[in-house]
This record gives sequence, structure tokens and C-alpha cells, in this order.
Amino acid sequence: MKRYRAFTAFILIVGALVALGYGLFGPQKATAALLSGLTLASLYFLLGAGLSLIFGLMDVLNFAHGVLFMVGAYVGYTVFGNPRLILNTAPLFLALAVGIIAGSRLAPLIPNRRFIPYLLALAGVGVTLWGIRGFPLRPLVAFEPTTAGGAIPTALAQEPLSRMLLRLGQLALAGLLLGPVAARWGREDRRAAPWRSLALGVGLTLLAVLLLLGRDPLERFLLGLSVDVRFFLALVAGAATGAALGALIETTLIRPFYGRPITQIVLTLGLMFAGAELVKFIWGKEGRPPMAVPSLFAQSCRSPNLLAWLTERCSSIDVLGRAFPTYRLFIIAVGLLILVGVALLLKYSRLGMIVRAGVQDSAMVEALGINVRRVFMAVFALGSALAALGGVVAAPFVGVYPEMGSIFQLQAFIAVVIGGMGSYTGTAVGALVLGLARALGDTLVTTGIALPGMAQALRASPAVARASTVLMMAVVLLVRPAGIFGRKE
Amino acid sequence: MEKTGFPLWLRRHWPGLVILTLMSLFPFLAGLAMGDPAAVPPEIQGVGRVLALAETGRAKFWQGMVIQMFILAVFAMSYDLLLGYTGVISFGHAMFFGTGGYVVGLLVKHAGWSAGAAVGVLLLVALLQSLMVGALSLRVKGVYLAMVTLAFAEFFYILAEATDFRQYTGADDGLHGIYPPPFLSPTDHRTRFYFLALVFFLTMYLAARRLVNSPTGRVMVAIRENEARAAMLGYNTFVYKLVALVAAGVMAALAGALNAFFNLGVTPSVLSVATTIDVLAMTIVGGAGTLTGPVLGAAIVHLLGYWLNRLFGQTWVLLFGVTFILIVVFLPYGIVGTVQARSWRWRAVWRERWRRIKEGRKFPLPS
Repeated sequence: MKRYRAFTAFILIVGALVALGYGLFGPQKATAALLSGLTLASLYFLLGAGLSLIFGLMDVLNFAHGVLFMVGAYVGYTVFGNPRLILNTAPLFLALAVGIIAGSRLAPLIPNRRFIPYLLALAGVGVTLWGIRGFPLRPLVAFEPTTAGGAIPTALAQEPLSRMLLRLGQLALAGLLLGPVAARWGREDRRAAPWRSLALGVGLTLLAVLLLLGRDPLERFLLGLSVDVRFFLALVAGAATGAALGALIETTLIRPFYGRPITQIVLTLGLMFAGAELVKFIWGKEGRPPMAVPSLFAQSCRSPNLLAWLTERCSSIDVLGRAFPTYRLFIIAVGLLILVGVALLLKYSRLGMIVRAGVQDSAMVEALGINVRRVFMAVFALGSALAALGGVVAAPFVGVYPEMGSIFQLQAFIAVVIGGMGSYTGTAVGALVLGLARALGDTLVTTGIALPGMAQALRASPAVARASTVLMMAVVLLVRPAGIFGRKE
Repeated sequence: MEKTGFPLWLRRHWPGLVILTLMSLFPFLAGLAMGDPAAVPPEIQGVGRVLALAETGRAKFWQGMVIQMFILAVFAMSYDLLLGYTGVISFGHAMFFGTGGYVVGLLVKHAGWSAGAAVGVLLLVALLQSLMVGALSLRVKGVYLAMVTLAFAEFFYILAEATDFRQYTGADDGLHGIYPPPFLSPTDHRTRFYFLALVFFLTMYLAARRLVNSPTGRVMVAIRENEARAAMLGYNTFVYKLVALVAAGVMAALAGALNAFFNLGVTPSVLSVATTIDVLAMTIVGGAGTLTGPVLGAAIVHLLGYWLNRLFGQTWVLLFGVTFILIVVFLPYGIVGTVQARSWRWRAVWRERWRRIKEGRKFPLPS
């Protein structure tokens, strides 16, 4: 009965929105607005799905989710347009990771005194700073061959190999110092088998050194690849970075504080703040223009219909006589794909079964002998990867800029609140409702509202539409405090 | 002998009185220590010279710093009423602070009202705003509340930044030229403004203490500890949370108004999440659930921000964020909270040490 009521509410709201659009603007404009709404909904869903899953399973509200979205966008953008930055920085991170893996093995050798971890951490941070001192970040970020095929890479802005190898050594040493501390920090975890961490360490070392030694040919190779392949690489790299960061955040900042929700929230809020500042620090305060789109959406022409577009590869498509950018159709497709994919994962996989059970009652799942911590980490990583993927997908649509994280996160929050936190269906529904409302609101405020008796139509900037979604959330909260699909507490 | 009346009062409150005296003397001490003697005409001597010195050089600057600390301390105390005493996690507190600034600014600058009348209207506006926000957001709990209040704050932030209202709010440039009455001008008569801020801070501190120690305050703490139990005891927890939110909102709005008068303007950044993070940091550094904690936290965070900014330039915001995370991880109860929790143990340890020293033992260190 309740289920039906939620679905009825959903259908009524969407129907009302669609009817409102057609009534106000006529079919042509309304269809374009609805398609834009679907695009936005797809992005909100990519962000909101992770938020909702993480909240449903472990009762953690991740305020840093928008940062992950933004980091995904920036990493994707960089992999796409400026592999030199990645090739020069990734080995440093890898070296640090190798050091930490090796160092955590040394933990038992460290005498058990209270002050030693602090000393080690301090020394480790010091050595890290020493290792990255004078790293030519600015010129590396500034170097940007934009077009496909790329500019011929010059040695400019790169440090000589010897200097970089020295940096690798310094960071590995820093990792060694930090490793025992890290091992203590996550002491509740069972440690992996020795051979496994040995293999991991050796593999990462090899990868770091190979990346560094081959940075020039690799860069030439990457820049020579077609736009499509580079775009795909950007998607993969963005999602992978998101997953890795998510796992890192869960293990270091969330896991030690289960049962202390205020601390967790405050921590992720601090992370949201620091993360945005970090992105500004690395990539600068200025945003970048939208990323180039794959060749399927690149020809500057207008296709009359979908089939013609697939052969002509036009950048826009004819929708009732108006041009609509085809790349946005791609965003919608990605959103749908993830929606179905994650739904199947939740429904049919073992992990999904555990997650669904955990949402119901995670203590019971733990009592049944399932390693809930590992599942928590997996879900956190999955949600973060989805957010980061959303960021990469959004980069050719809105560009990248340091405020994008908080802007999209706010809308995702609202979508999740409208749909009902912790409910996967609810998230999808909330994203859809919010996306449609946003698109209609944007059209409404930019074309103007002409009430009878007014000399001229009332116009506003899109910012007003963005703010008005908050009012929508307020209305939903008044009617149903737990959201459309939310469970009563 | 048991002391009563004034001696007892004095005995209980002497630290506060000492601090109050120091605060009142601060402008003049600063003037003597850091004032610019060249800027004061030599014919002014005696008390007049001390008064004049306080208005010069770095003394004026440091008075400004302390004024900011007073304002931020009130802001942080108001936040603590929610976070520390009622256990309500609101991430939209910047909204009230910013509203204070903008309401006063709009009335003074565009409607040409006097500062007093503007503050009077602000009280009403803040009351209404916090009632409405509270009535909506307190329907949900915990993290939902955090999200909802954050969204409300963003609503006002977006509106303040929107180009549509540029002629009123100045959009992203902010609203400038909010002048208090000339005899209280923070540029010409900073010492007077200092005492205005001091009186404001004291009033707010005493009011907050009164609220916290009142039966209402006790119910607030009960809600923080266990809301279901408070509800079972027959308290309408919604009403008490609303009271806390309204009190906090009005206090924050007043602090925001004074901030606008001190800076002679407001920018949209006072409404941003960064402001909420600031006040959260102050409360947590000092110790949530105490009134002195946020005050101490405000002073520390403000000074820390100033020094970090001088040392590292633009990077300081990032460093501040990292410091914030470290503080939350390693000092979850804040400075005052930690001291309160451990002071008995520390006292016992020192008493034991002192006893052993008196007994003349060789190693006066208990385990």
C-alpha cells in the first residue's frame, strides 16, 4: 500500500512537471527542457547513488562526496589533456604508497611507547614535504596541449630524471616512516598475507619506475591516441581515482569513528573544505572550459534524427526543430547504464545481497560472520567511483571549476532528501524530479514569467532557479519528512 | 569558615573578574605598548595621551583583532547552544550571521535607517527566520538536519551572490558602506567600538549562560543526551529544540550585524559554507558543550588564521582545513572539554606528587 502511494506520488509529481512544461512553453521548448532535465538528473543520480548507498549501509553522510565528483572531473580532464602532469606526479604517490606498505610491515619492530607514533608521523610529514619541495607544479599544470593528436611534447617544465628518482626515494622513505603509524591507525584490520603485500609493493615500485623512465614516449603515445581512446582513459582514470580516494577516506577518517556520527560528519565537512582548497592549490582558482567530446559527438552539424546522427556524428540533433547537443544524450545514457548496472549488482550479486541486508540491519549481518568492514570499504569505494565518474562525464558539459563540487553536491543532497535517504529507487526518483524541476526552472526564469497585469516579464538568472530547488525540498519535507521513498524512523 | 554573600560571589567569580578587567584595560595597555607616539601631538599629556595612543599604530590594529574575536566568540557561542548543548547538528549557521549583516546593511544603506532601528528590525527578522527554518528543518533529525540546514544556507548564499539583485546586495562584490552612528565609527573611534563589542559580548555571554543554566537549558542537555528519553519524560522536544535554534539564530544575527558595522560592509562569503566551517572549528577547538570553550576557540582560530595567513599566504586556507581535520581526530572534546574531563585526574596526580615531595621521597612520580 505504502509502496503504491510512493509511486503514485512520484508519477503525479513528474506528470505535473511535464504538464507544466508543455503548458507554459509549448512542445518545442518543453521537450528541450525535459531532455536537459534528464541530463541533469543523470548527473545528480551519479552523485546521489553513492551518497544514498553509503548512508543506507553505514549511516555516514559523506559531505566530501562533491569533492570526489570534482576530483574525478579534474583527474579526467588532466588525463585527457595533460598527461604530463599525471606521468610526473603519479610515481610520487606510488612511491609513498610502497613506503607505507613496507613500513606497516615494520610496525612490530617499533617499541611500544606512546610518543613514538607522533614522532614518526611528524618525521614522515617532514620528509614528505622535503620530497615535494620545489616540485615544478605550476609549469606542469600550465602545460596543456588541448587538441587531439596533441602538441609535440617538449622537455620544458619537467624535472630531470635523476631529480625525480631522488624524489621517489625521499617519498618512499617518508612512507616507511608513516607506515607503522598507518598500521596502528587501522589496527583492527586483519593484515594481508606477507607475500601479497610483497607482490603489491614490488608491482607498485615497478609501475612507478616504469612510468617515470618512460614518461616521454608514454606522453607522446598518449597524446597521439585518438580522442575516443583518451576519453575512455579519462573515464577509467577518474573512476579509479575516485575509488582509491574513497577507500582511503573510509579507512583513515571514517572507520575509526563508527558510532560517533557527529565526528564523522564534521570530519567529512572538513574534508569537503580542505579538498576544495587542495584542488584550487593544485589546478588554480580559475576553471577550465569544457573538455573536448569524443568523435561521436564532435562534427559541427545538426542531424535530423538519431539514426542519422550515428552515421553523421553530429554535435547536435534536431528535436522538434531545435538543436540539442548530442553529448547530453551520452550523459543520459551513462546515467541509465549505471542505474541499471548498480540495480542488477544490488539485486543479484553476493555483495549486493550483503549490502541490502546491511541496509536493513548491519549488526545482524556482522553477527552472521560477514566481514562488514570490507563491505563498507567496497561500498564507499563504489559510491566514490560513481561520483568521480559523474565528474568526468560532466567535464565536457560544464567544464571544470573549483566550485563544481559544492554546487553539484548541494543538488544531489536535495535530490536524495526528496527521494528518501538510503533508498536506491528513491535516489533515482529524487534525481529525476529534481533534474526536471531544475531544467524547467531554468527555462522559466530565463524566458521570464509574465503574470497578467505586468508591464514586462519577470526575468532572473539561473542562480534563482538553483536556489528555488531548496524551496522544493522544503515542501517535500513538510509533506513527507523522510522523502518520497524514505522509511519512517 | 563558610563565606556568604559578596565574599562567596567574589571567590567563585574571581577568574572572570580578572579577565574582564584585563579586557577593559586592553586598549590602553596596547596603546602604551604598541601605539605610535609620533602620531599623537606632544601637547596632549596624561590620561588624554593614553586614550589617544590607543587609537594609533598597531594598537588600533590589535584592538580590531580583539573586536573580531568578540564578534566571532558570540557567533561561536550561539552555535554551541545548538551543537554542544542541544546536540543539533546545523550546517547552516552562517545563514543567520549573514542575514544579520545583510538586513542591517540593506536598511542602513538603502532605506537610510539609523543603526539602532535597523538592529531592532533585525531582531524581528532573525526571530522570524529562525522560527521558519527551525519549523522546517527540525522535522528531521541527525544527518538529515545537517543536509537540510546546509541547503537553506546555500539558498541565501546563492541569492546574495545572484546578479539579479546587484543594485541592492552588490552581488559578489558585497554590500559596502554600512556606517554605524559617527560617534561609534570603528575607523575614527576604535576604542569606543571596542567597548561596544565588549559590552555586547558580555551581555550575550551572560544571556547564554542564563539560558543554559535555566530549566530550559537542562532540557536541552537532556535532549542532547537522549532525545527519546526526554520525550518519554513528557517534554515536547521539538519546542525545546526550536527555542535553542531561535536563541542561537538571534544571537548569531546580532553578531553578524556588529560584524557588518565593524567591517563597514558585508560580502556573500559570510553566508558561505566556509563561515559555517569556521564557527564549527571554533566550537570544536574550544570544546562543544561549554560556553567558555567557543570563546577560547574563537580567539585561537582567529589568531591561527592570522598567523597562518602571514606565514603562508594563500595556502593558509588549505593548511587551516588540514589542521581542522587533525583537531577533530585528536582533540574531539576540544581544549576546555578535555581540561574539564581530566582536571580531576590531574589534580589528584599533582596532590599525590606534592604529598610524596613533602614526605621526602626520592622519586615523587606516581605511576
